Amino acid sequence: MIKALLRGYRIALTALIAVGLLSSCSTSADSRYFGKTEPPAENILRYISGPEPEILDPQISDGQPEARIYMALFEGLVEYGPKDQQPIPALAKRWEISSKVDEFVFHLRDDAKWSDGKPITARDFVYSYRRGFDPKTISRTAQLGFFVKYSEAFKSGGVFVKKGDSYLLEKDFGATEHERAPQLGPETEHNKFMRSASRLVLDGDEKKRAKALAADPKLAEAVNGAELVPVKAEDIGVEAIDDRSVRITLRQSAPFFLGLLAHQFFRLVPEHVVEKHGKNWTRPQNIVTNGAFKVKEHRPYDALILEKDPNYWDAANVGLDGIHFYPIEELSTIMNLYKAGSIDAMLNHVVPSSWIGEIRQYKDEYLDFPEIALAYYSMNTQKAPFNDIKVRKAFIAGLDREALSSFRKITQPLYAISPTGTFPDYDKARDRVSEELRKEQGVAPEEWAKKGRFDRELAHKLLGEAGFPVVKKGDGWECPTFPTDTISITYNTNENNRAVAEFIQAQWKQNLGITVPLKTMEFKAFLPYMKGLEYSGFSQFLWSGDYMDPYSFLSLMYGPSNEGATGYYDPKFDKMLDEANSELDPIKRYDTLARAEFYLLDQAPVVPLTVNATNWLKKPYLKGMYPNPGTLIPWKFVYIERDPAKWDRDVSNIMTTPDARVDKHLADLVSSNSK
Amino acid sequence: MIPMALLVVSLTWGLIRIAPGNFYSTERKLPAAVEATIRAKYGLDDPWYKQYATMMSNVVRGDFGDSLKYQGQTVNEIIWRHLPYSATIGILAYLFALIVGLGAGTYAALKQNSILDFGPMSLAMFGLSIPNFVLAPVLVMIFAFWLYALPPARWGGFSSLILPVITLGAIYAAYIARLTRAGMLEVLRSDFIRTARAKGLNDRTVLLRHAFRGGILPVISFTGPALAALLAGTVVVEKVYALPGLGDIFIKAVLNRDEPLVLGIVAFLSILIMAFNLIVDISYGFLDPRIRYE
Repeated sequence: MIKALLRGYRIALTALIAVGLLSSCSTSADSRYFGKTEPPAENILRYISGPEPEILDPQISDGQPEARIYMALFEGLVEYGPKDQQPIPALAKRWEISSKVDEFVFHLRDDAKWSDGKPITARDFVYSYRRGFDPKTISRTAQLGFFVKYSEAFKSGGVFVKKGDSYLLEKDFGATEHERAPQLGPETEHNKFMRSASRLVLDGDEKKRAKALAADPKLAEAVNGAELVPVKAEDIGVEAIDDRSVRITLRQSAPFFLGLLAHQFFRLVPEHVVEKHGKNWTRPQNIVTNGAFKVKEHRPYDALILEKDPNYWDAANVGLDGIHFYPIEELSTIMNLYKAGSIDAMLNHVVPSSWIGEIRQYKDEYLDFPEIALAYYSMNTQKAPFNDIKVRKAFIAGLDREALSSFRKITQPLYAISPTGTFPDYDKARDRVSEELRKEQGVAPEEWAKKGRFDRELAHKLLGEAGFPVVKKGDGWECPTFPTDTISITYNTNENNRAVAEFIQAQWKQNLGITVPLKTMEFKAFLPYMKGLEYSGFSQFLWSGDYMDPYSFLSLMYGPSNEGATGYYDPKFDKMLDEANSELDPIKRYDTLARAEFYLLDQAPVVPLTVNATNWLKKPYLKGMYPNPGTLIPWKFVYIERDPAKWDRDVSNIMTTPDARVDKHLADLVSSNSK
Repeated sequence: MIPMALLVVSLTWGLIRIAPGNFYSTERKLPAAVEATIRAKYGLDDPWYKQYATMMSNVVRGDFGDSLKYQGQTVNEIIWRHLPYSATIGILAYLFALIVGLGAGTYAALKQNSILDFGPMSLAMFGLSIPNFVLAPVLVMIFAFWLYALPPARWGGFSSLILPVITLGAIYAAYIARLTRAGMLEVLRSDFIRTARAKGLNDRTVLLRHAFRGGILPVISFTGPALAALLAGTVVVEKVYALPGLGDIFIKAVLNRDEPLVLGIVAFLSILIMAFNLIVDISYGFLDPRIRYE
C-alpha cells in the first residue's frame, strides 16, 4: 500500500510538472477571435439569458431576461424590428391608425396557429388583454397599457356612477374630454360606448372613495344616492370586430402606443390552456405557445430548451432549429463559456469592466452600442438642503461626467433626462429646440454650450448663494457649513455601483470640498428606501425604457406619485408632456417633448450620469442578430452561417451592413402592411 | 430533533420579517390596486401571530406552499429537484477528500518528520489556505483553456463534474489529511499497537486492522458537519461552475425575500445537519471499543 501511495505521489508530481510545462508553451491559437470559434454542429443557438426566468407567462413578470425568452415563445400584434426595435407586423399583417392616434384596427393573418394547432383569432386578443388588466392577474407591467380606455379603472377595481339611466361623466367634474378622431372600422355597440364621453370612475374601495368624496363636496352631492357599477372586463377598449379584426381604443392620443404593443404584456396567452390548467399552465407538459419556437424541455437553473415550432405561420423563414437558453448570472463564468465555445452569444452588460480593454480588440465580436437605458443620481427634493434648487444645480455642475464615463469605459456621459444616441430623430429635435431656446434667451453660443456641463466656479457660486460658501484650503476646497452628516449617496450593493459612487464622491470632494458619505444597501432593502423617499441627498437610479420613445424616460417625473424617486412633481411639466402627446405630427411632437425636457432639466431633480452601452459578445458565425437598444432580439431572424467568408467582420458597422437574407425577410413582412 | 427544527424555522421566519423590503417589489412601482391584490392573496395584512400560525401549521404538515418568486412551483418540488445536483457534487467531493486525505495523512504519519511527511503536509496546508473562489478560476484556466480537456462550466456528464469536485473537495482533503496524520500518530504510539507488533503481526495488518480504526476517529466526527456543509454550502462552486444546485437557490431565495422557499430550505438543512450528527455519534460506537452506548 505504501509503495502504491508513493507511486501515486510520483505520478501526481509528474502530472503537475507536465501541466506547468504545457501551460508555459501554449499560446492562444487564433488571435482574431476570442477563444474557440467554430459553428455548432446543429442549427441551434446557445444563449445566456441571465437569471432563471420567474415564470413563462408573458403578462406576469417584468424582467428583461424573461422578455427575451418571451420573444421566442409568444407573439403579439407586432414585433420589435431586429435593428431599430421599431414595430414590424407579427400576428397583425396590417393595421389602420386613427388620425389622432387614439384608435387602432388590426387585421390578423389567416394562417396563425397555437403550437397545438388551434387557430388564433381576434377573440384570443380580447381574452389576453382582459386577463392582463384583470385585478386578479398579478401583472407587474399592466400599467404600461393604461392608455387603453378604462383599463386602469378595471385593474384598480374602480366603479362607474350611474344615476337614473345615465352615468356621471368626467368632464362634468373638471376633466377635459379628449376630442376623438373620426371612427375607424364598423360601428358597434362597444365602439359607440368607447367613443361616448368618458365616464367618471371612483375608487372601488369604500374607505378610499369616502375620502375622495369628503374632499370634493360637489362630487359627494352628485354621487349621493347613485348606483355604483363596477368596471368590468367588457368595458375596456379592446374589441373583436370579427374573427380577424381587433380594435383598440385609447383614452387619449398616444403616438408611441404601436411600439408598446410589442411589449411582453401585449403578447398572447392561450385561453384554452390557461383556463384548463390555471397556475400550472406554464409547466412544460401543459404550455402552449404561439411564437417561432416552443418549449421542448425546461430544467430550471440549467437550461430552457426550445425547438422550432412547425405550426408557426412564418416557420419557413425561421433560421434556427432551436434555442438553448442557459440561465447564468456570474459574469466571468459566462465569459469562460463563451471563450470555450460552449455558447454563441449572451445577454447585455456581461463583459466585466476589467476585461473590456482586452475584449474591445475583438472587433468582429464585441458589441458596443448605445442602449435605451441610463443612470441618474436622484436627489430628494423634499429634504433640506436638496430642496434648494441652487444646491442641486451646484452638485450637477461640480461633477465631471466626461471623466466618469471614461472611468467606466463602457458608457457615454449624459446631460439630459432621456438618453442621447438612442433616438436619432429625437436627438435632432433636441438640437433644434436647444438652438431656439438659446436665441430666445439671447445667450452666446459658446456660453450656451457650457450649460449643464462641469463648471467648478459656477458650482461654488451656487453653493455660496445657497448659504454654503466654499473656501480655499491648501490645494483644494472646503465647504465647512454644508451638512454632510445628514446626507449620503445611497446605492444598492454591487461592485460597479460602488465604483461609480466612490468616483463621484471623490469628484465632489475635490471640486466642492464636500465629502458625501456612501451608504450601500441590499437591493430589496434599497427599493423601499429609495422609492419611499427615505433617503436624503442622492440615490442611485437606473432605468431602462419600455418602448422606443423618449416619453418612456420623461414620464418618470409625470404625475404626483411618479417613478422618479425625487419627490419632484410639477403640473406645468405634466401639461407640457400632455401637449406633446396630443401633437400628431411626429417632428412637432418631438420638439414639444424636447421643450419639456429642457424645462425639467432646468428644475434639476436628478444628476444625469451616463447612458449605458450594450456591452456583449456574439460569435461571428451568428448572423441576423443585432445590438438594438434594448437587446430585444427577434429570434426568427437569427441564423448560423457556416461559410467563414460570410461571417460578420467589424461589427461596429453591423447596423448598416446589408444582409440579403434578413433584409428580404424584413421587407416581405413590412410590405404586408402597405397592401 | 423536530422541535429544534421548528425553532430554527421560527427564528428564520422572524428574521425574514424584520428584513426590509418584500418579494414583490421591483424598480417599477406597482399600481396600488395590484399591491393590494398581492397582499390580500398572501394574507400579508393579517396580524403577525395569525400569519405565524398559518406558516407553522403548513410547516408542520411539511407543506411549504408555492415559491413567491417562481410562481406555480412548490417549494418541495424545488428542493427535491435541485438536491440531487448538490448531493452528487457534495458526496463526490467528500469521497475525493476522503481518498486523498486518508491516503496522504496515513502516509505522512508513517514517514513522520521525513521529506515524505513535510511534502504532503505542506501541500495540505496550501490546500487549506486557498479559498475555492481562487482555486476554481485557476483550475478552469489550466484544464479548460490551456489543455482544452474539461468544460469550464455547466452541468453535463462526468467530465463537467471533475473541476467542481476538486474545487470543493480540496479544502476537505487537506483538513482530513491533517486530522488523519494527527490521529494516526497518536494511535501508532499507543500500547495496543506495540502489543500487536510484539505478537509478530506484519505492518500491513497492524496498520489496517488496528491503527486505522482508531486513527480515523477524528475524521469520522468531522464527517457529519462536513457532509451537511457540502450538501448545502456549495454556493461558490455552484456559482462559478453554473451548476443547478441548492446552495445558490438558497442565497437567491433570501435576496428575493422568497419566504416559503427560505423556510423550506432552512428546515430541510437543519434536519439534515442534525441527522448527520446523530449518525456520526452512533458510528463512534462501532469504531472505538472505548465508546459504548447503554
